[in-house]
Amino acid sequence: MTQPPIVEARHVSRVFPMAAAPVTALSDVSIRIEAGEYVAVVGPSGCGKSTLLHILGCVDVPTSGDVLVQDRNVGSLSDAERSRLRLREIGFVFQRFFLLPMLTAWENVELPQAEAGVARLDRRRRTAELLEYVGLASRAAHRPSELSGGEMQRVAIARALANRPRLLLADEPTGELDQRTGGHIITLLDRLHEDGTAVVVVTHDVAVAACAHRLLTMRDGQIVEGSS
Amino acid sequence: MLRVLRLAWLTSVRQPGRTSIGVLGVVAVGALLFDMLLLSRGLVLSFRDLLDRAGFDVRVLATDAAPFTGPRIVEADAVAAAIAALPQVEAVVPVSIREADIVSETAASQPPGRVQFIAADPQARPMWTLVDGRDLSAGAGANPPLVVNRTVADRLSLSPGSTLTLRGACGPDGSVLPPVAFAIVGVAGFPFDDAAAQTVAGRLSDIGRLCEGGMELGVDMLLVRSNQREGAGRAAAAIQALLPPLHVVTNEELVERFSRVQFSYFRQISFVLATVTLFFGFLLITVLLTASVNQRLGEIAALRAVGLSRTRVVAGVLCESVMMVGAGAILAVPVGLVLSVWLDDILRALPGIPSDVHFFVFEGRTLVAYTWLLGAASVGAALYPMRIVATLPIAATLRREVVG
Ligand SMILES: Nc1ncnc2c1ncn2[C@@H]1O[C@H](COP(=O)(O)OP(=O)(O)O)[C@@H](O)[C@H]1O
Ligand SMILES: [Mg+2]
Repeated sequence: MTQPPIVEARHVSRVFPMAAAPVTALSDVSIRIEAGEYVAVVGPSGCGKSTLLHILGCVDVPTSGDVLVQDRNVGSLSDAERSRLRLREIGFVFQRFFLLPMLTAWENVELPQAEAGVARLDRRRRTAELLEYVGLASRAAHRPSELSGGEMQRVAIARALANRPRLLLADEPTGELDQRTGGHIITLLDRLHEDGTAVVVVTHDVAVAACAHRLLTMRDGQIVEGSS
Repeated sequence: MLRVLRLAWLTSVRQPGRTSIGVLGVVAVGALLFDMLLLSRGLVLSFRDLLDRAGFDVRVLATDAAPFTGPRIVEADAVAAAIAALPQVEAVVPVSIREADIVSETAASQPPGRVQFIAADPQARPMWTLVDGRDLSAGAGANPPLVVNRTVADRLSLSPGSTLTLRGACGPDGSVLPPVAFAIVGVAGFPFDDAAAQTVAGRLSDIGRLCEGGMELGVDMLLVRSNQREGAGRAAAAIQALLPPLHVVTNEELVERFSRVQFSYFRQISFVLATVTLFFGFLLITVLLTASVNQRLGEIAALRAVGLSRTRVVAGVLCESVMMVGAGAILAVPVGLVLSVWLDDILRALPGIPSDVHFFVFEGRTLVAYTWLLGAASVGAALYPMRIVATLPIAATLRREVVG
């Protein structure tokens, strides 16, 4: 217990007020993600996996309970501070990639670095290194429309890693890929974890879940197995 | 900042159809707005230019009735001399205007026309611009000298050296006066002439030959040129102090009065049209930007999740708006200029409009006002889409994009 957890949720609930009746997406969830951990979150559709990921990733705030990122309470941060936290400490990978279509692979990876004020030369070095890392050095000048789904997802992972986050959050990263290309992504996540980044991946994919060192099973907004 | 601009630029060119529609819309709106701005002060500027061009900056009349309709200034010589003696005054020219009928030499074939006879002292700098021949001061031998405008010269085939006989239409109760033969010495342009105007100018003293009574009946107006160091305002004040019953008015005041009353229609029309135009431009840009933003919500939410700040994505939308409006605004200026020349020609063709009057006149501040108005419109148009982006719920949007 020398190092604080990268992110910790304490008794977190998230209720969406709906016209018919409020929907409880998370109820009283507590979880700690330690540095360098590799966690998979599984569970039936609608059980709150994405909601949990969004809250851990500071793009959503809980209705009750606290989220701490490296011992800082996210609830007390301004929107701008949360943006900076996401920019530097957290990497996001989405099912639908969400690359900017008018930018090349290189530019997509460079964007968060530029936003973080990384000097041009460092940016260039880091971007080259990342594209190499995800195996797309030769596709740097290509736009997303010229890439396959698996390649786009690899660019998205490179983008997520741009500012060397300590935590990578991935929401069904293989959801739109066939098994073979999905396999590449799994290998990549594996390697990332070996290189010291904590990874939390929401997935339906048993292959992905099998790689993780810790498996969280969710049901009806609660973690029913694997919480610690 | 450069990055925001570049991204906004790339976003704009990524949707060339939408962007082109926006830019074209702004070109139309901008051209019309530009023209309305030219129109709003054009007549005033043009009128001021016309007044100034005559080279006199103060007018003295008997009363504040419109020139040439009210009573005349009697003992004009003495009055003019007294005004000329003021240190604030450089020159005084008494001017009268009468009407006269052309006595046709080719008899019945020519319908007898009527001319405006401007009578002014020949030693003064003329109010007209000589285009051919010489001025009145040259003298002409036996017959008194006369300068005619182009219309009269063309219509009667006159040139310097010809003779023109006029009969004063200034007798009491329309009585027929004896004809007077004038020697044409020159052809000139008169500032307030319209295309059909028939104007001639002769010496003030020759009014006595044309009209019964002549100078004794007084002059219509004294044109005064102020001493440059003193300026029109001081000269006018000095004249007014010297001769309280007379009506003294500077060009400045005249323009001001006209712009308040007669020319205000154009200002009002241009204000209404400019406002409506601007509003349409505003709506067009708002609609296009909103559509564009709504198409990209997932992307924007993802960028926010990756760590781009709210300010950053909002600034992006603003940049897109400013770029679209800016591009249109720049293209609109030449279009507006061409359009204004065309519209100006249409309006100037109205009967009774002096040929040298323009309705659309460019001045530096038009461009300044234009830039401000369109700049404000581009910001205003971006407000709603900016709000959408600023209040975008990141998590819900990401989810909707995947599930939906
Ligand atoms: N923005 C939202 N508004 C309303 N309901 C939501 C919203 N986000 C999630 N929910 C609801 O919360 C529950 C959990 O959603 P989610 O976390 O997306 O599930 P999962 O990712 O496990 O499929 C679902 O019932 C969903 O309908
Ligand atoms: Mg989900």
